Amino acid sequence: MATRTKNRTNSQTAEQRYRDHLTKADHYELYRRMWLSRLFDETLLDFKKKARLKRGNLYASIGQEAINAGTSLPLKPHDYISPIHRDMPIFHFKGMSLESIMCQVWGKAEAPTRGKDSWSHMGDLSAGVIHSTSMLGSTIPVACGVAWALRLDGKTDSCVVAYTGEGATAQGVFHEGMNFAAVHKLPLVLIVENNQYAYSTPTHLGYATENTAARASGYGIPGWSIDGNDVLEVYEHTSLALARARAGDGPSIVECMTYRVRGHADHDDTRAMGYRPVEEIERWQKEDPIPRYREYLIKNKIFKASELPSPPPDVQKQVLDAAEYAINAPEPEAHTAMEDIYDESAGVTKWSK
Amino acid sequence: MVEMTFLQGIRQAIWEEMQRDSSVFVLGEDIGRLGGAFLVTDGFLNEFGSDRVIDTPISEALIVGTAVGAAAMGKRPVAEMQFMDFISCGFDQVVNVAATFRYRSGGTVSMPIVIRGPSGGYVGGSLYHSQQFESWFFHVPGLKVVQPAFAEDAYGLMKASIRDNNPVLFYEHKWLYRRIKGQIPGPDQDFIVRLGEAAIRRPGDHITIVAYGAMVHFSLEAAEVLAGEGISCEVIDLRTVKPLDMETVLGSLAKTNKALIVYESPKTGGVGAEIAAQIAEAGFDLLDGPVMRVAARDSFVPFAEPLEKYVLPSVEEIIEAARTLHRY
Ligand SMILES: Cc1ncc(C[n+]2csc(CCOP(=O)(O)OP(=O)(O)O)c2C)c(N)n1
Repeated sequence: MATRTKNRTNSQTAEQRYRDHLTKADHYELYRRMWLSRLFDETLLDFKKKARLKRGNLYASIGQEAINAGTSLPLKPHDYISPIHRDMPIFHFKGMSLESIMCQVWGKAEAPTRGKDSWSHMGDLSAGVIHSTSMLGSTIPVACGVAWALRLDGKTDSCVVAYTGEGATAQGVFHEGMNFAAVHKLPLVLIVENNQYAYSTPTHLGYATENTAARASGYGIPGWSIDGNDVLEVYEHTSLALARARAGDGPSIVECMTYRVRGHADHDDTRAMGYRPVEEIERWQKEDPIPRYREYLIKNKIFKASELPSPPPDVQKQVLDAAEYAINAPEPEAHTAMEDIYDESAGVTKWSK
Repeated sequence: MVEMTFLQGIRQAIWEEMQRDSSVFVLGEDIGRLGGAFLVTDGFLNEFGSDRVIDTPISEALIVGTAVGAAAMGKRPVAEMQFMDFISCGFDQVVNVAATFRYRSGGTVSMPIVIRGPSGGYVGGSLYHSQQFESWFFHVPGLKVVQPAFAEDAYGLMKASIRDNNPVLFYEHKWLYRRIKGQIPGPDQDFIVRLGEAAIRRPGDHITIVAYGAMVHFSLEAAEVLAGEGISCEVIDLRTVKPLDMETVLGSLAKTNKALIVYESPKTGGVGAEIAAQIAEAGFDLLDGPVMRVAARDSFVPFAEPLEKYVLPSVEEIIEAARTLHRY
């Protein structure tokens, strides 16, 4: 974790020490969100193993929960997120129900895509979640378009938080989007989840800069590379970037240095041991963001150990109930595969011959 | 009614739609200060301001992607490709992001986007300023593909495309931009040309010629010559290639029993191949001869005049093909 706090901002004033304003309830919420993320993934992996979930791959965010929790807590209902494949719990933190997310995983009729697509390729604009695709990087120009629409509507207080892996920052569209956002000072916060590997490809084969936040200077915007396993650090820098965006100062990059503890997806777990040194995995396991935060909360006397069950039992129940709900939900009818291709309700009032 | 060129018709349509509906905005390279390479958006920046007339960096994927994000939020972006050839740089955003959006949103989000720009050959534009490749998008569910041949249609189809709730690829043949003039109805008439409806440009009895874009004019010229030889051609202007108006094509075939399809793109795998297949499936009994095609050779559009002429279809080739077909 050589680069983890290198670029952190020195410019934060006392008011910008956002963590100082967190209430006890906020702290518990961060803790709860991290656990929900962890249990979301572990539960689904378990369902897959037991063949109660048969289709699709599971791109777990195990080890990256500080990003899920720390970037989502500062968001307001009128903000938008543009998630990627490893962020399923964030959809929920932004306002989508766990039941509908689970229905998406199982491809059920009441899933946001009605069974059309799998995993994270869904959205719900009423909750502020922009639909993603599997084309890495493609979400960034789309996020710019959402930001432009907010500008046209005069919604200057709304921001878009876009997520990407460090691997996808090599895509041309990443540059096209960030460049445009910077030129027009769009209210965009880009979270780079740098988990050190793009599938099997280590970062040194992905980019030659010290870290991907270094690219920000190429766009004339701020970029911070921070400890992505420290939920308060993530929370603080996301808050800082959001404040800049809301003030009309444009986009910034928050690169969260973290580690993908499991394989790229569940199909890759065994092979993932082969392309990474075991010592590296073990070293990062000691950086697990959940016990780290728990210790912090106890050490700083914010909570007593007894107040922080690991995991919180209600969270496990919530995840299991949602999964059971999806399992029992109806399958989509075959003919609906041909629905939703076109919208023929064109607003044309008069026709020529 | 005001006489306008094909290009002015397009400009007028976008202008009026932007005045009528504040959710319509335009974006593309050099479309603001310059008014676009061909001046389609000339004067727009002054009238509508820089929030609705966006001079973008040279970023086709960004242009299309921004249009997608804004459309998801209820806007109606009209995105310019400086030349339609460059859409390949934004291809992923068109086929994987825009086209699929409604589908993967379970029908909850529509994509009212127009991607427009100059296309086509015959002007010495060479490889990268002469292509159409409309068949790339013809193949993709979720997209519509429009190519007008007349100024009124350019105007009416542009209005319909902007009001349509799906991504529309709008091919403007640059050879027609200033060559073709027409009577454009005033804004009070709210004149629209519905997508998916072909027009019969010249009635005839012996051969049905199906064409779109500049090829409509080539076909009409050929039909005039053929009429002098006693060969009567019915010329259909598709106007929209997706959705395809096969009803009009088959209706005409019921009268002529012979089909000649004319298109400007490379012959193999082009729009004409699909029309021929659909005729074979649904209109086999109507045929008194083989379905024939006149299209570009399977090459790129080269620069030197003899080369360009060799590759792209000509009026002579249409006449020759029609004569052959008439002999059946
Ligand atoms: C355009 C494109 N190319 C390839 C892939 C296949 N793919 C899916 S995830 C992935 C690795 C992504 O790495 P990164 O962006 O670092 O995110 P991570 O999975 O590490 O969170 C690849 C290569 C894809 N989805 N899209």
